[in-house]
Amino acid sequence: MPTPLSEDIFQECIEQAVQKVFQTMLQKTATPVPGASPVPATADWTWPADLSATVAIGSVGFAGDISGLVFLYLSEDLAHRIVSGMLGMTPAEVTEAGREVASDVIGELTNMTVGVFKNRIHDLGYPCKLTIPTVVWGDEISIRSPRGAVRRTYVFTVEGRSVVADLIFKED
Amino acid sequence: MHKLLTIDDSKTIRLILARAFKEYDCALIEAANGEEGLKAAAEHKPDLIILDITMPTMDGIQMLTQLRATGDQTPVIMLTAEGGASSVEKAQHLGVSDYIAKPFQNDALVAKVQKVLPLAKKA
Repeated sequence: MPTPLSEDIFQECIEQAVQKVFQTMLQKTATPVPGASPVPATADWTWPADLSATVAIGSVGFAGDISGLVFLYLSEDLAHRIVSGMLGMTPAEVTEAGREVASDVIGELTNMTVGVFKNRIHDLGYPCKLTIPTVVWGDEISIRSPRGAVRRTYVFTVEGRSVVADLIFKED
Repeated sequence: MHKLLTIDDSKTIRLILARAFKEYDCALIEAANGEEGLKAAAEHKPDLIILDITMPTMDGIQMLTQLRATGDQTPVIMLTAEGGASSVEKAQHLGVSDYIAKPFQNDALVAKVQKVLPLAKKA
């Protein structure tokens, strides 16, 4: 019998996933921002100021008894720091490596994050599988939820920079 | 020299593994999906395969099923974000040596590889 998925469970699972991945792969602390995560996210919610310039958005889906998508939003600056940390590159090497390498790193970071989240949900009685990651970069990107979908947005800070985890899924 | 075949669609993971094993006396061969992995396994005869599950073209479970069907019993360590109970069960059924869930620490990965394939450090 599946465990009913409450707001607390979603929040705990996504927070644990983001914190575990940043700690294990980068030795960085991801701190949840209290009160910055409306449930569900509303149109008038104020986006973190440091994510108003160029952002990298990684997304990975999960499909099965529960289906949805998680988007991770990172500033370009934080994305470059993550590339540097995961691949052991200097800032100059990260710049030289270019966006293709950065996209692959952010895709893998998102894949790991959604994997930890999905595995918890799976083990609560909702078997599902991961999809292949995708990454886009841009200055003015907005994600619109499909009709009937529920959206939950969670904000973290990593070394003073914002990370947003945006969870969208359909509830039966 | 031992040969390790890493099969993962993420170049990031392949680069992390190359860094993790650079001080060991082994050669790393890379493949980006199960289909490439099968070809590389047949061509290079690796001593150990480090295998992801979720990949385009052919996933890790399909690749391992086909590999075992040829009689190839090369030790395999799964390294994957797909850690749900059913995936672990399928992989165990196909005779994997170990299962590492992403995210992972390099030291833990190297220790698990060392249990299957003792690697010497480069002189």
